[in-house]
Amino acid sequence: MKRRDFIRKSVVASIASGALFSMGKWNSVIAAGTNHSLPFDMIAVKNGEPAAMFAEAMKAMGGISTIVRPNQTVVVKPNIGWDASPERGANTNPELVGEIVKQCLVAGAKKVTVFDNTCDEWTRCYKNSGIEKAVKDIGGQIVTGKDQSHYHKVEIPKGIILKETKVHELILESDVFINVPVLKHHGGASVSFSMKNLMGVVWNRHYYHANGLHQCIADFTTFCKPTLNVIDGYRVMKRNGPRGVSVNDVATMKYLLVSKDIVAVDTAATKIFGIDTERVKHIGLAEELNIGTTNLDSLNIKRISI
Amino acid sequence: MKNQRWLRKVRISVALLFFSGFIIIFSDVTAKLPWELTVSFTYFQLIPSFIRFINVGGVLATGFIIILFITFLSGRVYCSVFCPLGIMQDILAFLRRKIPFLSKMKLRFKKPLNILRYSILALFIISLFFTGIISVNLLDPYANFGRIASNLYQPFFIAANNILSKILMAVGISSIQPIIQKIFYPLPFLFGLTIFLLISVMVFFRYRLFCNSICPVGAILGLVSKVSFLKIRINSNSCTRCGNCQVVCKTNCINIKNLTIDESRCVSCFNCITSCNDESIGYKNTWRSFGAKSLETTSSSKRDFIKAGLLFFAVQPIFANTNDDHDYEKGSKGRFCQRGPISPPGSLNIEHLKDYCVGCQLCISVCPSKVLQPAFLEYGFIGMMLPRMNNKTGFCNYECTRCGEVCPTGAITALTKEQKETVQIGKVYFKQNLCIVESEGTACGSCSEHCPTQAVHMVPYKNELTIPEINPDICVGCGACEYACPVEDPHVAIWVIPNKVHEKAQKPQIQEQVETGEIEDFPF
Repeated sequence: MKRRDFIRKSVVASIASGALFSMGKWNSVIAAGTNHSLPFDMIAVKNGEPAAMFAEAMKAMGGISTIVRPNQTVVVKPNIGWDASPERGANTNPELVGEIVKQCLVAGAKKVTVFDNTCDEWTRCYKNSGIEKAVKDIGGQIVTGKDQSHYHKVEIPKGIILKETKVHELILESDVFINVPVLKHHGGASVSFSMKNLMGVVWNRHYYHANGLHQCIADFTTFCKPTLNVIDGYRVMKRNGPRGVSVNDVATMKYLLVSKDIVAVDTAATKIFGIDTERVKHIGLAEELNIGTTNLDSLNIKRISI
Repeated sequence: MKNQRWLRKVRISVALLFFSGFIIIFSDVTAKLPWELTVSFTYFQLIPSFIRFINVGGVLATGFIIILFITFLSGRVYCSVFCPLGIMQDILAFLRRKIPFLSKMKLRFKKPLNILRYSILALFIISLFFTGIISVNLLDPYANFGRIASNLYQPFFIAANNILSKILMAVGISSIQPIIQKIFYPLPFLFGLTIFLLISVMVFFRYRLFCNSICPVGAILGLVSKVSFLKIRINSNSCTRCGNCQVVCKTNCINIKNLTIDESRCVSCFNCITSCNDESIGYKNTWRSFGAKSLETTSSSKRDFIKAGLLFFAVQPIFANTNDDHDYEKGSKGRFCQRGPISPPGSLNIEHLKDYCVGCQLCISVCPSKVLQPAFLEYGFIGMMLPRMNNKTGFCNYECTRCGEVCPTGAITALTKEQKETVQIGKVYFKQNLCIVESEGTACGSCSEHCPTQAVHMVPYKNELTIPEINPDICVGCGACEYACPVEDPHVAIWVIPNKVHEKAQKPQIQEQVETGEIEDFPF
């Protein structure tokens, strides 16, 4: 990130968080994302195993301790939407999720919690995705995302269509929010990357679909900015997404993208997926809302090939 | 007999074991337990096992033979240790003893209500074979227990679990997850409550009145136990006629005047043996001395049996008429999503479900997807409380085969995952003018997103949008699209039209492996 961009964004963010602060209880989501400066705007890794690629990325970033401080609470939000095995590429890679939880705990996090508001029945998704086991084995917690009482109403003043919605309390309360989508095709939204993955932290997804999917996805990013986005491009579902029909829909591409800029990281993901960024409407709409940049040339990207 | 007092302890232990088992299998709301465990408890249920025998046969349907054999050997121990409704009544009777004004009311020998008992049995047997299964559903003790467990007990269990979960979460323990798989409906709850209250009233006034005047299983086993090998007998030489035994008797079947026991009603609870101070009552081999003692109600019972038969044929036409049949085709021709009910995969067709399901609701209790719900009048009057697919509350998980695995009667036949993939319980129907993409011009794809076979897939539409296109041939009718559709006014834009008789879905064409598209360097 250029210094000018950084200052501009910081100012915008601090105004936004100030505005949010006056609105009541839930305001920490944007503030959490702006406290750390990283050596690179984006880190892209390829040709490694999921856990190893993340470890390399963190090494380049100067360790996960640059974003996770001792005694902080961390929420990790992978895509666990479907009752499908890891080979199907419908959910985030369990090894990657396990590695992220592990590193956060090693960095001294007080508590690392994982959840998703799943589409299929949640206990089957958690189990068959392999994520429940990976998280529990390493000492993290995994909780349901299907309990409506965990969701609280928030206002989204900068949203164009999405003016308010209910957000999971872990997202609202945790010190650090790590967004871990899987890179895949999506029949309705064209692709599902970091921004689309944030639909799994709100209660009423029907509202998005009924009122303009792309704009709502973009609107939500004005409220919720993950501390870090980690895109799992190890297995990439190229068609029939987001659920997929068989393993034949999946290509093993072995990529991993890490960035604080949700627009930039999704833009990079479109290049890997092989789709014009303009065709993924919510990316452009989010850029218009000054959430991030689609101009990858303006960014300081660290590229690592294992 | 003093040396036979252990019998009662064994009876209570085994009964509690079985009862706990039933409570556990009806608490398995997310289908976490192995289905073999569930089946091992339902295996011994006489009527479900017999229905399974005439329906599908197989090893799992042999339970009723074992029960008949046990009864032939040792009387109606089934009613005391295997029947969950019987054990529930024993627990209620135990509580009755703790209520002062009720426990003062001592129960003594009562004449059997044989006309009622055998009328119901005749009605039951005829309806089992000829007129559909309504009386079986209403009378079978296991099915009644199931409805109590599923509709009355389970909501309390879930509430308790969720409160405990909240408390533990508050102190930072997430080991108990909240249960959100179920929806509370007042009507089935009232249904369960009514059955429970009726039985409680019977227990409070006459202990096991249900078992000996209404329950057809009790009547059948009562007939078998008349000739059983082991029976309770009173030794007239040493008996002092103190009457202890008839006060503790659960079925009021000990006649202290004549020192006889009506073994057609005795459930082998062994309370009498434990209560006897004179060691004058015991469990004995009666074949050696068969005929030595005249049985108290033999002749009158035979007469009653004939009377009951006549009475039954007089009322039979009334019940035969209730086997009504709704015209589902007419329903589906109506506007929009007017249509009949969808029966769960494995039930073959609606008639099969209505013929073989006893309505125990075990499938509904364990369905992890909220999609199986008790029917009200969707299947017609005789299909009340049977399982139906409700796509408003959930959709059938493509990989889940639990309902068929636990069904004790085989009304829902067990399917493997591979078999289930080709069972089509209904077909997708899409009304494009209602779809968000057409009416609002915005992207959606919620239906296709949830579709496991891509029978609903997105195809290019105006302005780089995509719109659903359907292929009913590969649709399994799981209802995910209908559940996920965000359109509310006037109703969803995509829904499942039921197959009254299930059909075979074609397997989705597995496309060729996608190109990995090996990129030499980073594409940015």
